[in-house]
Amino acid sequence: MKPKQTTPSTSTLPPKPRNLFPVWLAALLALLWLIVHDLEISFEALAYGLADMGEYFSRYRKPDFSELSRYLDLMKITLATALWGTVFALVVAVILAPLAARNLAPHPLAYRAAREILNFMRAMPDLLLALIFVAALGLGPLPGALALGVHTAGFLGKFFAESLERVGKGVYEGVTSTGANFPQIVMYAGWPSIQREALGYLLYIMDRNVRMASVLGLVGAGGIGLALHDTLRMFNYGQSAALILIILGSILIIDYASAWLRRRLS
Amino acid sequence: MSIISIKSATKRFPNGFEAIKGISTEIATGSFTVILGPSGAGKSTLLRLMNGLETTTSGSVHVTGETLSKSNLRKTRSRVGMVFQQFNLVERLSVVTNVLTGRLAHRSWLGSLFYLFRNEDIEIAQEALARVGLTDKAWSRADKLSGGQQQRVGIARALAQRPKVILADEPVASLDPVSSEEIMMLLREICDRDGITVVVNLHQVDLAKRFADRIIGMNSGRVVFDGTPAELSPLTLQTIYKRDEIENDTNLDLALSYA
Amino acid sequence: MTPTLIWRCPTRNGLPPLPAVASVVTVLVAMWSTASLVEVDFARLIGSLGKMVSFAGNMFVMPEWKYLPHLLGKMLETIEMTFLATAIALVVSLPLGLLAARNATPHLIVYRLVRDLLSLMRALPELVWALVFVSAVGLGPLPGVMALAFVTVGFMGKFFAETIEVIDQKQVEGVSAHGAGWFQVRMFGMLPQALPDFVGTVMYILDHNLRAATVLGLVGAGGIGYDLVMSMRLFQYDRLLPIAVSIYLVVTLLDRLSDQLRRRIIHGAKAKI
Repeated sequence: MKPKQTTPSTSTLPPKPRNLFPVWLAALLALLWLIVHDLEISFEALAYGLADMGEYFSRYRKPDFSELSRYLDLMKITLATALWGTVFALVVAVILAPLAARNLAPHPLAYRAAREILNFMRAMPDLLLALIFVAALGLGPLPGALALGVHTAGFLGKFFAESLERVGKGVYEGVTSTGANFPQIVMYAGWPSIQREALGYLLYIMDRNVRMASVLGLVGAGGIGLALHDTLRMFNYGQSAALILIILGSILIIDYASAWLRRRLS
Repeated sequence: MSIISIKSATKRFPNGFEAIKGISTEIATGSFTVILGPSGAGKSTLLRLMNGLETTTSGSVHVTGETLSKSNLRKTRSRVGMVFQQFNLVERLSVVTNVLTGRLAHRSWLGSLFYLFRNEDIEIAQEALARVGLTDKAWSRADKLSGGQQQRVGIARALAQRPKVILADEPVASLDPVSSEEIMMLLREICDRDGITVVVNLHQVDLAKRFADRIIGMNSGRVVFDGTPAELSPLTLQTIYKRDEIENDTNLDLALSYA
Repeated sequence: MTPTLIWRCPTRNGLPPLPAVASVVTVLVAMWSTASLVEVDFARLIGSLGKMVSFAGNMFVMPEWKYLPHLLGKMLETIEMTFLATAIALVVSLPLGLLAARNATPHLIVYRLVRDLLSLMRALPELVWALVFVSAVGLGPLPGVMALAFVTVGFMGKFFAETIEVIDQKQVEGVSAHGAGWFQVRMFGMLPQALPDFVGTVMYILDHNLRAATVLGLVGAGGIGYDLVMSMRLFQYDRLLPIAVSIYLVVTLLDRLSDQLRRRIIHGAKAKI
């Protein structure tokens, strides 16, 4: 089209395409207001609570480390629980992921089954699983490790499967064309191609499991969580503060260690 | 004696495209055959049918006297080596390990789980690497090599299979002219010295003429020429590279006059 | 040739590579030495199979139908908490993310401080903060939302910052070359580039928060978790079954939805290049 430059009216912009962003934003805000209303969150209580918050947190000022060695033992159990859970998850994920990768699965039925198993494991919150395993196995860290393992196997398996699906088709074909069978294709074309990504995911899951292991004690699955729960129940702020600091410190150390490992990997 | 025979094979892909429209042909044992044709003529599909990477829609493929089917797929693949345009190496594995994957069909999956091979496998791999002149690169990671070197690893992998046939799908399409020359000479030498039957897909007419015993010309899923390089006249080249619905293709004439 | 060594690894000396062996051995030793701490007992594990089966058998009951409306209400509360907490965290994380991105921060000291703050916020799981907030403001969804939002800021701020750090600097220069101010460069040069990734992050976090919200009730911080524990403790299997099924359904639904959306965004972004 030839632009006409004689009349000023045509030099204005074409009508702006309707921007629905304000509508969406208004709808979202209305929804949030409804939610606040429905949850009966009163801002008075919040303001009141916030005003008291300073005073409340000052009660945690003096951490009481008199039972330090017991706390450290509990933290050790927590870390061990996370380790066992992670290894369990790794073993299950390594077996299931190749079946759950669309381009590798030997049969569409195996693919569907593996996918559904992984989805199911992921959908069950680990605390719910821990509750169930505590009921079956009795109190202690073992049901906690199992719960962590089952839940995170779902995540790890999904991550691995997605990575395996992103590997180039040619790499698999190259190994397939030599007459290799399914496990051989997985071992020689699959895992070597994703080893770096897979290690990253594993570290991420390890991180996550350490965090979660520290609260599993709440449902009787051992570790430091139960102690924290008890001290908070008894308004023993000094000991609570000590426990929180120990959990925080351990998690930060693991965090830094895994960040360092990840940097070395890339 | 023919090592591969294809009987009235057709291949239709799930999206409805018919890549092979009824081809019957025999590949003689120990011969060097080049399949020539424009992109999309079905050269790759034909080659992949011979290795079982694709299955025929109708018709059959026989390799070393056996009809290809699901049950003897692995056995057939172990006898038929394949070389790819994009090399298709596992980039994070060492050159030796890539070559050793050629031995997988002869080993149980249990050893494979722990990346274990027998001494004889390692010797076969070393021999294959020496054959392609890459002994000094044995421990490098595959992605650290140049394109021509990677393709030679691909050929070594095929050789490690101790194959009866090597199929090469556009082995030089991603390489520079010098490397292309080297790869074609290597394939020809393997054919002459080891008596391994070689089938190569190409789109370079000059390479085909110089290296082949026999040329099969393909166009849109059919064989349009089958003979010796000497029989390949400019007229037959025109039928091979003819494009649909274009009567006087001056571009084609121009291109072929340089071929 | 040594006849003793029939099997070899594809390495120079024929032995498995040292780093792989070392890490496997380390993990195995760590597991072996902590087995007693975790109270690993295979006899107990196998013995518990019977209990697991009978537990699963107990689950095959008629759901208590008149409990369903209450369940739906609690489930809605869980979802509402998730959304509210994510929305609050989003508003707080955007500026914090800018401050914690190396290429957008006003000063390196600010960058370090905000980074450390964020990693402190996400260090402890929601449940610990929920415990603390419950004892601060009392039972109900409020402490749950606070705990969720608090931890989410830690994660979201970090993800946002990382997204901003990998944007194309040329586009930013294009904006600043025309004399845009500090704030304008960030609004017009940086945020639009990072936006598609932000949406993916928010979906991922929504997913994560829903899972977390289902168990916050354990410590009295609102949502379905309280009913879950109570029905478990009181062996009310006719309630436990619908609770577990509804959690499974809602979590799976959001999981699929966020997967789809993220895939669309990623592919959409690729199509533009």
